Amino acid sequence: MAGHTSDSKSYLGARLAVLRNTQNPDGGWGYFAGKSSWLEPTAYAALALAGEPAADRAWKLLSSWQLPDGSWKPAAGVQVSSWGTSLCATIAMVRDEWGQPLQNGVKWLVGSSGVESGWLNVVAARLRLVRQERDVALKSWPWKPGNSGWVEPTVHALVALKQASSKISSGELRGRVQMGEAQLMDVRSRDGGWNYGSPAALGVDLPSYPETTALALLALQGHDDLGKAFDLARRQMGETPSPMARAWLTIAMRLHGVKPGELNGDPQSDLMITAIEALAAPEGNYHVMRTAGAAA
Amino acid sequence: MNSNRREFLALAGAASVAGFAGFNGGRDKQPKAASKLPLAGQTSAVVVVKAASYSKDLADAMLRGILECELDVAGKTVLLKPNFVEFDPNTCINTDVAVVATALEVFRSLGAADVKIGEGPGHRRDTLAIAELTRYRSEIPNFDDVFVDLNRDDVTGVKGFAGRDEFYFPNSVLSADIVVSLAKMKTHHWAGATLSMKNFFGLVPGSIYGWPKNELHHIGIDTAIVELTRAFGPKSFALVDGIVGMEGNGPIQGTRKQAGVLVMGSDLAAVDATCCRIMGIDPTRVGYLQKAADQLGIIEESRIEQRGEAIKGLRTNFELIKEFSQLRLA
Repeated sequence: MAGHTSDSKSYLGARLAVLRNTQNPDGGWGYFAGKSSWLEPTAYAALALAGEPAADRAWKLLSSWQLPDGSWKPAAGVQVSSWGTSLCATIAMVRDEWGQPLQNGVKWLVGSSGVESGWLNVVAARLRLVRQERDVALKSWPWKPGNSGWVEPTVHALVALKQASSKISSGELRGRVQMGEAQLMDVRSRDGGWNYGSPAALGVDLPSYPETTALALLALQGHDDLGKAFDLARRQMGETPSPMARAWLTIAMRLHGVKPGELNGDPQSDLMITAIEALAAPEGNYHVMRTAGAAA
Repeated sequence: MNSNRREFLALAGAASVAGFAGFNGGRDKQPKAASKLPLAGQTSAVVVVKAASYSKDLADAMLRGILECELDVAGKTVLLKPNFVEFDPNTCINTDVAVVATALEVFRSLGAADVKIGEGPGHRRDTLAIAELTRYRSEIPNFDDVFVDLNRDDVTGVKGFAGRDEFYFPNSVLSADIVVSLAKMKTHHWAGATLSMKNFFGLVPGSIYGWPKNELHHIGIDTAIVELTRAFGPKSFALVDGIVGMEGNGPIQGTRKQAGVLVMGSDLAAVDATCCRIMGIDPTRVGYLQKAADQLGIIEESRIEQRGEAIKGLRTNFELIKEFSQLRLA
């Protein structure tokens, strides 16, 4: 694993140093230093520090948050199944742990979808009883059960399931991946990127956002029909003030073999962003998000 | 159009962003008979202060309004909840930075023990980047020290919110003595208008409920607005930035509309009803205000004690999208 630099002056080293210094005693990270541990910053930090004892401590904590149904909850005291299950599945595979916890997580993900794809809604859409800006028959993933599907949780589910498909042979899994990729292409904004869930609202086009465009590209590794999106991503990279968006854009470009711009600046107080930035660094662990490519 | 129908359409529209949410979503029980409602016959005070711009005498106007409302903040912890969602240089989506910066100073000057700013933007993940674009970070002194990202704050479960066994809210919201809804006066393409009550969507943590706060759409937009007001309204104060609002396809894609007012009060429903009348919207036709009427606040014009400017001369019709054209005040 990369990410073991001790040079605290480099872009990556500075971020890893912050992460090492802000890990909570329970093994997790809060979104900000001194706050309670949450799945999301803990998962990204664990991926950024993969191979280090800090990552082992983080995984031990996250493992204790898996629920009986196979999903993960987002924090110790929050009894809700979370999209973060995808991130935990990815960590398990990075650690080469393909046992029952991962199998259960993958099974939960395969069975999870936005409520808009229930049969009643699909029929209503087919009969044009409700306005739809997208094809609701294409299942995506929600932030939590009982909600609609959105780009970001769909992306992380696709990354995890595509990674899982290298060792878990399941027609259902492959089917969800294929449908998930088709769903992402279906909700692409007219400008070539992605908004957070739909290309339009009330018939009015929605612009793409840099962070969701980057994430969608992450999920669509292996697709060779995304040229316009990379032109847009390069432009967004230069325009966005968001370090998080720049980090995701960089990760997506690296995984597609596209040369990204240079990352610079000091680490943020936001530990989740710090961890994503560490992943995005040239010597960072961005490859933990690599997938085998588009579903066959 | 009755409120159930309207809420259903709003929900269906909201769901169309990511898909239809369900045929029963958002439908509610019929409101109680008027005579049995807890606030029937009562009155509320609302203060309207003219403010032509964000630069001239804003602190004075705000202070006058708050004092007129007899709000006591001495020794209390105050959470200012602006509306900052998204940035588009061509329009005015967010509570203006001048209003937020001024409120911070005014509430401190009134003796509040602590004043924080908290928001959980509904669309974008990188909250501080939005704060940068909206100039909050550059123009509010020590912004990073006084700001709490409500999307990612630590949380505590609350029993029974909107019929849920448990619903999680940020600790910074739960622990504040006073929450000030620093809302923006805007039209809203699912709810009709977004004002101090709708602004409470930003109290819901994205870390659990995602971006946008889709759980609220599934509860039903009008119902969620009402339930958030039921939960936090009693310890809240509304201060609506209507100096420049948004008309048309709000809350994101509308256009600027000058109204030249700040509207304040402790009864959020009464403040929002007054804002509606200034915007040329009939508050009795706005779904969530119908539901809140006499349960959580007063929306009937004759029972709102108008202090400061009389609203009659301030009305300036905000353009409404065709889905909400029936809201136009006679």
